Amino acid sequence: MTSSVPSGGPDAASARAAAVSLGPQSRTRGWLSHPSSRRLAFGYMLLAPAALYVLLLVGVPFLFSLYLAVSDANVGEPLSRFIGLENFRAAWEMDTFWIALRNSVVFLVVAAIFKSVLGTSLAFLLLQNFKGKKLVRGLVVIPFTLPIAISVLSWKWMYDSQFSVINWSLSRLGLIGSYGSASWPIWLGQPHLALLACIGVNVWRSFPFTAIVLLAGFTSVPTEILDAARVDGCSFFQRFRHVVTPMIFPILIIGFLFDTVFTLSDLSVVYLLTAGGPGNATQILPVLAYQIGIQAGSLGRGAAIALTLVPLLFPALFLVLRNLKRRDW
Amino acid sequence: MSHSHPIPTEHASVSRRGFLKVAGGGVAGSSLLTMLAARQAPAQIKGTTLRILTWSHYIPAYDVWFDKWSAQWGEKNGVKVKVDHIPHLELPARMAAEFAAGAGHDIILNNATILVRLYYKSLLDMTDVYEDLGKRHGGWIPAAKSPIEVEGRMYAIPMYYILLPMLWRKDLFEAAGLKPPDTWDLARVAGRTLKAKGNPTGIALAHCNDANLVWRSVAFSFGATEADPSGDNPTLDSKEMREALRFGKALFDEGMTPEVFSWDDASDNRFLASGIAGWIHDAISAYRTTESTNPTVFKNTYVGMEPAGPGGKRVNCVAPIVFLSWKFTKNPQGAKEYLTALVDADKDGMVASTGYNMPFLNDMAKKPMPVIGSDPKLQVLQDFPKIVGFFGYPGPYTPQIQEVANLFVFPDIFTRVARGESVDASLNWGVGEYRRIFAKHKRA
Repeated sequence: MTSSVPSGGPDAASARAAAVSLGPQSRTRGWLSHPSSRRLAFGYMLLAPAALYVLLLVGVPFLFSLYLAVSDANVGEPLSRFIGLENFRAAWEMDTFWIALRNSVVFLVVAAIFKSVLGTSLAFLLLQNFKGKKLVRGLVVIPFTLPIAISVLSWKWMYDSQFSVINWSLSRLGLIGSYGSASWPIWLGQPHLALLACIGVNVWRSFPFTAIVLLAGFTSVPTEILDAARVDGCSFFQRFRHVVTPMIFPILIIGFLFDTVFTLSDLSVVYLLTAGGPGNATQILPVLAYQIGIQAGSLGRGAAIALTLVPLLFPALFLVLRNLKRRDW
Repeated sequence: MSHSHPIPTEHASVSRRGFLKVAGGGVAGSSLLTMLAARQAPAQIKGTTLRILTWSHYIPAYDVWFDKWSAQWGEKNGVKVKVDHIPHLELPARMAAEFAAGAGHDIILNNATILVRLYYKSLLDMTDVYEDLGKRHGGWIPAAKSPIEVEGRMYAIPMYYILLPMLWRKDLFEAAGLKPPDTWDLARVAGRTLKAKGNPTGIALAHCNDANLVWRSVAFSFGATEADPSGDNPTLDSKEMREALRFGKALFDEGMTPEVFSWDDASDNRFLASGIAGWIHDAISAYRTTESTNPTVFKNTYVGMEPAGPGGKRVNCVAPIVFLSWKFTKNPQGAKEYLTALVDADKDGMVASTGYNMPFLNDMAKKPMPVIGSDPKLQVLQDFPKIVGFFGYPGPYTPQIQEVANLFVFPDIFTRVARGESVDASLNWGVGEYRRIFAKHKRA
């Protein structure tokens, strides 16, 4: 039964129903009618592709490796079962794992020191005005842009025990003895030298990146501030320590984070130069994870080894990013 | 008008599905056997495609022959054949990717890193092809089954193996009044004598495949073993292994230089080609390459039998090369037919490889073998088939042995001793690593 509407307009019930059905729409319209909300929504929309990208290309593989690390997955078995922390226990029982962990940390620290010193020096050099500056800036990034397999194989030749161009040059200069003598370095054969040789190639490849990052930072420091510091009597190192460094700190931190991740996950240099030898002297975690996870097929243990550094890196990452946020740059 | 309902039969002992399965299997099986017997490709594979993933052979001429032969076989049988060559060290990663994707090549080569036991549940059963080939070619050499057999079934076809014999400089030996290195003791004496004259010897003590193979040859010839015949238990901890380690230390101290700690698989080739090495223990590619790079060395380098250990035992640990195929391949019949024809043509392959490829089939290994049978310096290689062993000797090629090999535990035990660690400490370390790896696989 329906009631008649004398005035011709909607009755009270249908008006209420209309109000109920249009409620969320009008509320959304109302929320979006604020310019600030629209800006916010637009901002989220712009961020969405990047967030999705990170989620798909970083988040999903990371979660998948977490899953592998707690399963008995191997390359030939499509189904795996949950085995808790068994893979981590198995890795920690290996003598080679601890050698690889120690080498990875040494690799990271020593490489970081050399890259900082060389990268900073190069960045300052590239800041100067000289003829052919653009060409030199282009040339210094060559190690970073060369395919890693080619550059590492070139280094392998330079480190060759018999035909090393480094050794023959040093020998001709009279700094070492001739081939076969005790002073003839076996770059990839002596344990400490082998690790240093691998670090050397990593530094050679990466320090141009450090220099470019620093150069971007240095050029963003207003010259007026540097001039003012100079007028106040600051020396070069004082200007660097008290003016430049605080101003480019966020860039330094981001560069540091990138470098840490790149160095810790660098499989190619060691794998191609020594495959972790001799006697595990250059064994590092990414190579060990590859040898066990892919070559030997134990995906679970490989993933567990690869993930070992995550608990160490997370607190460092958290502290660095929190420090960055506090500075409110 | 016909009756649309099935007529019920009370005495039906076979379901329709069961009948189709049995009949289908029978037809497929009999057609394959007929095809294998007739050496003729069946009509079913005409118009199909076959993708083959193989390595880049150390002898480039072999790859040229392989590609040409594959193309000709494809033309003859109406199959589109595509061959991809990649470095052999990349094969395990590529296999893992193909398995995860459930798609990829129809035939894949494994070289030294044999992944049959890891993937066998997803590999095509090749027992019929293996048996047919064995029947027609006088059987397989005893070692052939080890890399490919799982629970009595064959999941790959052994193609050839690569020997690492003694390559010694006859001119240097004669000048020093040395006997040919027919035993490890003679090789040690030669190393000691020739090092003093500026011609040291060398076996890689590094993370490379040569180190994995040659130090095993030394230890196995001394009577040591790696795993029991079941492959489940490591057997490294023995007095023979200790003896081999003591020998390895002496050989390093007296006859080698620390260079060997930095070597890769090609370093000993260069060492020989440079004219410095007194002897090396390597594949004949090292000898072959000197033909163009250093003809004097080539002329004076001789190939020797695997040196005998103290008890007269000789075991040459070799790198096997096998071909396998996924269960998910769309062309299983084509894959089997191709592999059968390839093994049948193996003598041509041996010629193309200039004697580098050694056959797994007895008839093909009969004297005189192609190339090496007619070369006085290489004829000795024909005596190797009976002393061939693989990783895990005398046990099979298991995933645990593969992991041990991937981590270079075996040569690392020798490296530790050579660097001055005691034999017992080094062996204890190695045995510990073996036990942990074997236990992990047992638990899995």
